[in-house]
Amino acid sequence: MTKPRWVGSALGGVVLALVLIGGSQLYAAWGGMARDNLASQMLINAIVVVGIQVYIGNTGVLSFGHVGFGGVAGYAFAVAVIPPDRKATIIGNAPFGLADVHVGHLAGIVAAIVVALAVALLVGYALVRSGARAGAVSATVITLALLFLVHEVAVNWTDLTGGDRAGLSFPVGGALDSLWPIAAALVGAVVVARLFATSTTGRLAKAAREDDLAARAMGINPATAQFLALLVSVAIVAVGSSLRVWELGTITPRFFFFDYTLLTLTMLIVGGRNSVTGALAGVVVITAGNELTRYLAGPDVDIAGLGWLLRDGLSDIFLGGAMLGFMLVRANGLLDDWELDEALLRRWRTRRQPATDTSTSTSAAAVPVDPIVLRADEITVEFGGFQALERASVHAASTEVVGLIGPNGAGKTTLINVITGLVPATEGRVELGDHDLTGLPTHRVARAGVVRTFQNLRLFGALTVRENIEVAALAAGRHRPGAPRPSTDELLALAQLWDLRDRRARELDYGNARRLELARAAAAAPVFLLLDEPTSGMSDSESLAMIDQVRATAAAVGAGVVVIDHDLGFITGICDRITCLDQGAVIADGTPADIQADPHVRAAYLGA
Amino acid sequence: MALLAVEGCTVRYGSISAVRNASLTVAAGELVGLIGPNGAGKTSTLSAIAGLFAPAAGTVRLDGHDVTGWSPDKMLRAGLALVPEHRRLFADLTVAENLQVAGVTVARGERQARIDEIASVFPVLGRKWTTAAGYLSGGEAQQLAIARALVTKPKILLMDEPSLGLAPTLVDVVFGLLQSWRGEGFTMLVVEQNATRLLEVADRAYVMRSGEIAAEGPAAELLARADLFDAYVGRGT
Amino acid sequence: MTQLIQQLVDGLGRGSEYALIALGIAVIFGVMHLVNFAHGELITVSAYTSYWLFSAGLGWWAMAIGIVVSSVLTSLLIEFVAFRRVRGAADFTMLLTSFGVHFVSQALFVMYVSANVRNFNRPGWVTDVVTVGGVRFEVFDLVTLGVTAVTLAGTVWLLRRTTFGVSLRAAAEDFDAARLMGVRSDRVISGAFALAGLLAGVAAVFVLMRTGRASPTAGLTPMLKGVLAALIGGLGSLQGAVLGGFALGVVEVLLLARLPTAWVGLTNGIVFVLIALLFTFRPGGLLGDHRVERV
Repeated sequence: MTKPRWVGSALGGVVLALVLIGGSQLYAAWGGMARDNLASQMLINAIVVVGIQVYIGNTGVLSFGHVGFGGVAGYAFAVAVIPPDRKATIIGNAPFGLADVHVGHLAGIVAAIVVALAVALLVGYALVRSGARAGAVSATVITLALLFLVHEVAVNWTDLTGGDRAGLSFPVGGALDSLWPIAAALVGAVVVARLFATSTTGRLAKAAREDDLAARAMGINPATAQFLALLVSVAIVAVGSSLRVWELGTITPRFFFFDYTLLTLTMLIVGGRNSVTGALAGVVVITAGNELTRYLAGPDVDIAGLGWLLRDGLSDIFLGGAMLGFMLVRANGLLDDWELDEALLRRWRTRRQPATDTSTSTSAAAVPVDPIVLRADEITVEFGGFQALERASVHAASTEVVGLIGPNGAGKTTLINVITGLVPATEGRVELGDHDLTGLPTHRVARAGVVRTFQNLRLFGALTVRENIEVAALAAGRHRPGAPRPSTDELLALAQLWDLRDRRARELDYGNARRLELARAAAAAPVFLLLDEPTSGMSDSESLAMIDQVRATAAAVGAGVVVIDHDLGFITGICDRITCLDQGAVIADGTPADIQADPHVRAAYLGA
Repeated sequence: MALLAVEGCTVRYGSISAVRNASLTVAAGELVGLIGPNGAGKTSTLSAIAGLFAPAAGTVRLDGHDVTGWSPDKMLRAGLALVPEHRRLFADLTVAENLQVAGVTVARGERQARIDEIASVFPVLGRKWTTAAGYLSGGEAQQLAIARALVTKPKILLMDEPSLGLAPTLVDVVFGLLQSWRGEGFTMLVVEQNATRLLEVADRAYVMRSGEIAAEGPAAELLARADLFDAYVGRGT
Repeated sequence: MTQLIQQLVDGLGRGSEYALIALGIAVIFGVMHLVNFAHGELITVSAYTSYWLFSAGLGWWAMAIGIVVSSVLTSLLIEFVAFRRVRGAADFTMLLTSFGVHFVSQALFVMYVSANVRNFNRPGWVTDVVTVGGVRFEVFDLVTLGVTAVTLAGTVWLLRRTTFGVSLRAAAEDFDAARLMGVRSDRVISGAFALAGLLAGVAAVFVLMRTGRASPTAGLTPMLKGVLAALIGGLGSLQGAVLGGFALGVVEVLLLARLPTAWVGLTNGIVFVLIALLFTFRPGGLLGDHRVERV
């Protein structure tokens, strides 16, 4: 993270939190105790929702279980903080001697965080193992299981939790009545959330959220980023939940089950799950709506003709309706991924001179390197009886451009998939120099320096053009810091995307999107670029332009290229050598001239 | 009278106009091309004609009848079929099931007869009857895509980029097929990136650019116009 | 040994109810990639329909028909009002939509129907028992089992062998491409929801025969069990859903029988842990949706 960036995020976070706190106190000042409580509860909910946002917003994985973590934290806090004489009457038989434990509130919060994180480690492992990613049902199932499990344990383990009738309660006067802990926690939570989102881990997580496979192909391991996001988010939720229990003065299993899950999730969804500012906005909107409906449904309001509507349960309709309504009409919430501090920073930046890009740029041209060879030898792949590849081999030096051609279904993409770890080979080896890549997972292959593009575009849609490139560079920066990397600006210029650099990738038209894919792959500091049909769908003038772009990009990075394509003008124009596949086997290998004259190739692929 | 007459077709996605005031005609027995660069609006035009959605403005007439905004199943019954871009086969369904779906608008009694007819015209498909469409090779997939459109014996066939992503031998097969069908008097409107090959077999063509029809005329004439090619279209291989 | 067999039989009986519900959920998932948490509302509606018909003095045959009809209509209504609009959206959106429908429906029931539990009579034969070779079979379980088997066979036949079924699978895979082939995709998807409603209705008949109660949360537990069963079996697989239902039933009965008394309250909790473990190591469920992503 560059220095100005994190300072900006942190400051922005502080400002956001203070605005919310200030606003709530203004509101409370005008009312009595009830409003005071409302303000406190809103701020506490804000902490919890921000915590949930850190996970759902950065990873795109829908977790129903965060309130479960909250329950764990809440009980840990209560058990730690409630004085022993009180505990003797409600959970005198508590296991592990917990009935005698008594610590201060701060220590109690720390204990809550520790216990919740312990559970998070388990759950995190389960999520990784199940291949959790944005949209994966298994992740939702596992987190839902957590929610239920915590509830079940809380209801049944009465020795520890007091069960679901009485629960645990603080002695009279033991409830929180000061604003300071809440305010401090909220400021801390928002700052941590913003810092995480702008940190390298956060940005890598967001890339994986957009497209898991493309992220891996750039060397990102989504699991690590998601795991860290989970830990940070659970810690924040633990703090918020402890404060909630402290403020309410009591805890029962119901407090951290479906109702609270619905409330916090709706707040997050309505505000905009992809931004911290959104999360806070959602908290405000839903709290206001809730209170309004409660007031309308209450005894003080009696509007003729609306009695059928303004009755008990209206708040629930409002809550469920808000979630439903936004899903139907505006799934990204009110603010989508808009962040206050980023918006302000953009304004501030455009007022000054456009700064020159100072990101690392090491030119490849200056340093003569011995060519490294990428070899895939005798690769055999079988898909349940169907022979996709039969002892196919291809090799390329890092100074060459090698083409891979053949009819549809010949196995070209499968071969690339084997090299990049997407598909296991039954036989054969993949080597980069003397580094054995056989069977390595995709992100490891990418980290070794073999980066690919995809036949079907896989950009990080919600990220801008510039961010797509930067994120690949960030990933490369971590794992191959010394590798030659052109700067983001250089790559933008090479791809003729400079004017579009602040547009979201999903808004690009097809030609530009393809060029971005190439630029992004180059940003990952590859030793080899594997391109899968980069000119598919392009007109011939665009294809010819692509020859120059591929050449220039490869030269800027010092990478060898293996390219699949059907456009013969493109292939013959750019390749030093060409390998031709048919039905899973290599049928020819040589210069473009050789290939075009080869009778087997003509029969199988080129035609007349 | 034209078999297909489109007038003033306008297509909007939200606030973006993908197609503005496009007009074209296809007479019976003609092979008409619609060429132009990526994003020109060709697919949107075909989709609007075939009834996937109603155009924001303009009319579509088939055989003199106003069919603007008719749903695709009505268009099929009226005699217009579309082979969509990227073929869009049902990968999890077998070849037989893909054809079965394609035949839903055909009367139940005739359906099986038509499907059997197709199997004889495309023997390769006949051999892969129970194979899931997702496992077909590129050439077989292209055949299935065309076969599906023929099940209803359409009066006019619309094709969106039939040679997209195909190896050169298959591209030859596709254009060979277009040429022989033209010889048999079949009516077609074909969108293609591969402008040169298309213009070599077509009767007439329209050039689309940025949502509008920029030029039209006999195919031979358009082939000769260098200005079109350098700026918009490019030479084929 | 007889005890184990007895437990298995009980488990299968219990599981067949879950299987029926899971089937309905699997159908919807197969069609729209949506885990329908609102499926339970169909059962709640059925419960109240039963109660009203019962209060009107009708017998169980009439009630059964009424239940199925109301379930189908409610399913169509929910599709039209909510799910039609999010067709093709991200899984995340659809999941939350179904949750939203669930919560709104629950609130509506509490607000406008009744927060109280209503009881009605169960048919006499529900408690009949038949003993074969030392093993007790509840007639009710046998009937449910039989109906489940027939329903599964019928659903599979419908989806694999009829034009409707093929059109539905086509529309589920590519809505617009199916339209271009002449399929009225809108109607066909509604048809799927009607089918799910039918399945839920049949399940509701048995649930209600067994419990004899109508309450706003009547559908909650069956829905959860159904969702869990469908997940266990592997979403999208019809056979998997039924298998998952039986598996869930058997596991529950075994746990209840074999856990020390102090732990019995944790049965549900343990089931959840087992499910979480299953999903950790086999994210596609038992008969999993192991679709290879096309690169």
